[in-house]
Amino acid sequence: MLSELKKSLQKLLKIFNRKKQIQLGFYGPVNAGKTTLANRISLDWLGKEVGTVSEVPHETRHVQKIENIVVTTNNGELKMNIVDMPGIATQVDYKSFKAFGMSEEDAKARAREATKGVIEAIKWLDNVDAVLVVLDSTQDPYTQVNVTIIGNLEARGIPMIIVANKIDLPEANPDSIASAFPQHVVVPISAATGENIEKLYEAIQEHLT
Amino acid sequence: MEIQLDFVSAETLARKGSAEKISFILDKIKRNIIVVLEEALEPQEEAELIEATMREIDAEEFHGIEFYRIDSRAKGLREKIAEYIAGRRHGITIVGPTRLIEAIKREPDYISMLAKVDIPQEEKKKKGGE
Repeated sequence: MLSELKKSLQKLLKIFNRKKQIQLGFYGPVNAGKTTLANRISLDWLGKEVGTVSEVPHETRHVQKIENIVVTTNNGELKMNIVDMPGIATQVDYKSFKAFGMSEEDAKARAREATKGVIEAIKWLDNVDAVLVVLDSTQDPYTQVNVTIIGNLEARGIPMIIVANKIDLPEANPDSIASAFPQHVVVPISAATGENIEKLYEAIQEHLT
Repeated sequence: MEIQLDFVSAETLARKGSAEKISFILDKIKRNIIVVLEEALEPQEEAELIEATMREIDAEEFHGIEFYRIDSRAKGLREKIAEYIAGRRHGITIVGPTRLIEAIKREPDYISMLAKVDIPQEEKKKKGGE
């Protein structure tokens, strides 16, 4: 009950304190396409990519910040800083990296960095104004990691949009994400091809600023 | 291989603060015990559990956890007040080490937990009739 009162108060304060430039965090499980999306936005508006994308899990192991992005939509200008977070996970086994051809030493080092990255991402929850929760629409959305991320944002009163990514893949099912989290705005996109990216910009402007 | 499940009552959990609760859970998980809590962890506690897990991971012995919260939180105002006064969060949480739990999956009508059991060679031979 107290947390609901706190949430309502936070929402009210946000209306009065609308920021001209938002700090937008990208959260989600590992390999959902957060960095691909950050690269897409950065390439579209700053003309450069910011992070390396790989099929090996935990490619992003440090928080990456892209500052002063100005996006123009039909509804005007949108100014934001993007904070691309390492993927949230409940387990990190270095042996899973060895399957991608890494040496034992490199795999262990990557695992150590990955665990620190998860901690860093959780700590950043206190420093973002709004969040894009990036989920892989080819995967089952009912995972505890997804529920924990969204639950933490709700508890802190941080506004969010759920991005159902990877809709370019034949097995994508963005409707399952919308069914899993009906209380939130869900925007299906493909960060890889840019499909529906304009709708995402408009949704950010409408719901997060 | 034996699998131990510890069921922890809501009363026991109510006596512990968040940090103590997380440390209590992780202590059991690191001893390869699957824990069933008679309460739904709060989202912040889940984030603390993940954070603490990441600090404890080491290459050889402990690779992390699987967990699932089954929530049946109070919906009405009266129930919420009663829950707040009682200090009890309805639901259950299952937490286990990844070396024992393959997956916990939500099915339409139930939650399914797949545990890994390494059957010793002698047992395998007996079962296979060799």
